[in-house]
Amino acid sequence: MTHRARLPYWLLGLLVVVGCSEGEHYPDRPIMLICPWSAGGGTDTVSRTVAALLERDLGVPVNVVNATGGSGVTGHTRGALAPADGYTLTMVTVELNMLHWRGLTNITPDDFRPLMLLNRDDAALFVRDDAPWQSLAELKEEVSAQPRALRASGTAQGGIWHVSLAGWLNAEGLDAGDILWIPINGAGPSLDALMSGGVEMVCCSLPEASALLESGRIRCLGVMASERVEGFPEVPTFQEKGSDWTMGGWRGLALPLDVPEDRAELLEAAVEQVIQSDDYLAFMASTGFNVSPAGPEAFRAIMEGFDQQMGEILTGEAFQSVRSTRYGPMIFPTILFASLALVLLILVVRGGLRRSVDSPRLDRDGMARMGVALAFVLGYLILASRLGYVITATILLLAMLLSLRVKWSVALAVALLLAPMSYQVFAVVLRVPLPWGWLGW
Amino acid sequence: MDPAVVDAASQVFLDPVVWTAIVASAIYGVFVGAVPGLTATMAMALLVPLTYWLPPLPALAAVVTMVACAIFAGDIPTILLRIPGTPASAAYADLGSGLAARGRADSALVTALISSVAGGLFGSIVLIFLGSQLAQVGTLFSPAEHFWLYVLGLTCAVVVSQGAPIKGALAVLFGLLVSTVGLSAVHAQSRFTFGNPELYQGIGFIPAMIGLFGVSEVFKNLLTMVPEAEQQSSGISEDRISSPGHPLNEVPEAIRRVIRRPFASLRSGAVGALIGMLPGAGADIASWVSLGIGRQSNTPLSESDDEAALDRLGTATTANSSALAGAWIPALILGIPGDSVTAIVIGVLMMKDLTPGPEIFEKQATLVYGLYLIFILANLVLLPIGLAAIKAGGLVLRVPKRILMPVILLFCVLGSYAINGSTFDIGVMLVFGLVGFFLERRAIPLGPVVLGIILGGPLEERLIQVLTAADGSPIAFVDRWPARILVGLWVLLLMVAVIRPGRWRSQETRQEGL
Repeated sequence: MTHRARLPYWLLGLLVVVGCSEGEHYPDRPIMLICPWSAGGGTDTVSRTVAALLERDLGVPVNVVNATGGSGVTGHTRGALAPADGYTLTMVTVELNMLHWRGLTNITPDDFRPLMLLNRDDAALFVRDDAPWQSLAELKEEVSAQPRALRASGTAQGGIWHVSLAGWLNAEGLDAGDILWIPINGAGPSLDALMSGGVEMVCCSLPEASALLESGRIRCLGVMASERVEGFPEVPTFQEKGSDWTMGGWRGLALPLDVPEDRAELLEAAVEQVIQSDDYLAFMASTGFNVSPAGPEAFRAIMEGFDQQMGEILTGEAFQSVRSTRYGPMIFPTILFASLALVLLILVVRGGLRRSVDSPRLDRDGMARMGVALAFVLGYLILASRLGYVITATILLLAMLLSLRVKWSVALAVALLLAPMSYQVFAVVLRVPLPWGWLGW
Repeated sequence: MDPAVVDAASQVFLDPVVWTAIVASAIYGVFVGAVPGLTATMAMALLVPLTYWLPPLPALAAVVTMVACAIFAGDIPTILLRIPGTPASAAYADLGSGLAARGRADSALVTALISSVAGGLFGSIVLIFLGSQLAQVGTLFSPAEHFWLYVLGLTCAVVVSQGAPIKGALAVLFGLLVSTVGLSAVHAQSRFTFGNPELYQGIGFIPAMIGLFGVSEVFKNLLTMVPEAEQQSSGISEDRISSPGHPLNEVPEAIRRVIRRPFASLRSGAVGALIGMLPGAGADIASWVSLGIGRQSNTPLSESDDEAALDRLGTATTANSSALAGAWIPALILGIPGDSVTAIVIGVLMMKDLTPGPEIFEKQATLVYGLYLIFILANLVLLPIGLAAIKAGGLVLRVPKRILMPVILLFCVLGSYAINGSTFDIGVMLVFGLVGFFLERRAIPLGPVVLGIILGGPLEERLIQVLTAADGSPIAFVDRWPARILVGLWVLLLMVAVIRPGRWRSQETRQEGL
């Protein structure tokens, strides 16, 4: 038998091997862990640590994907709507309890099967070390004497730390808007604004502020927890200072609904093992994240509790009035549209929008070749999720090379070499979750 | 000599783990930087689990080297293929690829490398000797100052972009408008999403940049591709972009270029370090501002002057490399991350029980000196590895275009997908590929569009912050002296651009081909 004649048998054999391994035991391919927040943040760090440790226990890669944007809408939506095959996990955060109350998404905690609560970071209130208020009571006095004189930040309008502060003001019988909320995205930039005098106080979690806190440049007036937080024993709770208010963020792992029960239980056991491991505990202790594990049932109960509390605050009248700021979301686009119209007008009058002379002519052959490129990308969008990355890439490369009149042999060699090579680099080395098809990759 | 310095030196130079970390992460960084869509932040996040098992010094060595190499490597596809590997390179995509088109690819690449090394070393020296003093400058920046800094950066993009400034303005405004699609960061309300949940995430600048530059370049090349039959009959192959030479021969000239204009080199180094250390600003703004300042003070030279183009390329790459070290100043000294990379670094430090802040110099002197040494080393290691990368990049150009273009397209798809794992981003890339193609045919520059998309969110945020804090009074934008200085600079920039009508006219006629 010649080499060439043997090829089909080899392929058939390969197919049988790959085909048999499918579905026999779980997990047998990479698992995706969706993190709704960007790389570098607290949720991302926790996700990557859990992923690295889960990988060790499960024996398959666990890849973190930062599905960011939309204040958490993107990641949570993608997590809830992912195929319920146990290969997609989501690091859900407290925003899951908030977004649907604000009409930003239909996804609620009921769209997930809770797996494990990992941590809770209670809100805390920080001021500069030279601030005149030594205690929460003094601050409250100043706020009620002079409402709307003080400014605070910590996150965007209506974010978790905003809700925490507004909720405290409500609980104290003050108005939610008595401390002006300056929307600054993220605790880091907010602390920066605190240092430069842009705001008088920041509401965020203790670990986010620990560097400045330890160097004595800021003081913590209190943490909105029922008891003192491990790692920060010197920080008093709001309760000690005479307020019953508690609030904070949480993070946990969840699966889409309808994941087969045996797979969910296997994952639950693996996560349980991870969060009891020394590596995990050492990591959480060193970063200051508050370890607060809870199994599926308890996790569900916690989410329900939060959901009710958030609903009360976010749909309450006081908060609605705070949210409708004078500087609405259309101010900036309106300025831009006006400027763009002006610039376009000038250009049209001066005839500057004509095609520049040195740009190539659109001839028919050229347009046809551009159409091939267009078809390449569209083809990828249609085929990749069905056939898997490697097969799709091979087919598309081959087709496009041939349409550009590259010799058969060269085109075949390039396609057969590049598709698996790029898979190795992106999916294996760089951990990009490339589409998975019926042949495996 | 301080015993801590000796101690640090021995820990850095005698530890094979540190050396392995430096070399391995240099190669990794070059790869990540050269592939559009793979960002330094993403590469950093992948390194994080690895740093659990590494002692602090090798862990930091890996981070520093990786980022320094990535920012230079971004220039390789920028110059060779006109596809920016990192957003910081988008500022000089036209400049660099123009040089390559005129057969000066090697000069451009080596100039970028040497200037990056020089900028990196300059930034490190600023970090080492002036870090503590400069850290206080960052705290002078309230939202109003940030607002003006972004305006300054965007104006520079308009002023330096090739072609008529009015078209640059159009490009910037278009980019800014694109950034408003999705959920507004400040109000958390949806805009221009037309009920489409996919649009909530907004239009990412990475897929948009890959589309604008990469896909549109593929379209352009496909359009002008000479049919093979004609090529063979004429006997010459015009299918290849340009033939690579010997990068090593260009090194002395590139070094002379940096030394010959000491003032310009120092200025862009300083601009880079200063902008880098401001939270929320980074290497991308630094390249534009440095180009903008260079444009104003240089004697006007025609665009086709290769020597002038190389000088300008040099100043921009100096600035963006210098900005990297600058970003460490607030991170190390105040514990405030300046960008997402240093945010991860702070996480790594805390994991090793090292809290960044003023006391890190007393408590961890050895580590800080070790880090300083690593900064210097990382930039020196970049030299040979960068040269090797240039050589390897040259090989890519030996591949005929008809084979190269499908491969580039595949990498564009992968790069757009990699950042968020989202197929929606591939669609964004395709749409912006078409947009870029048509903008280009109307001589509208693409770089300012990218900067507009990047800065739109932060600019709006600062605008609303200042207005909210001042209860609507526009005086708030200019009632602090640092803000007034920035406004002064901005007015100066506008004036210089306007009172040079000769430049406007000549540009205009060239565009219209009269």
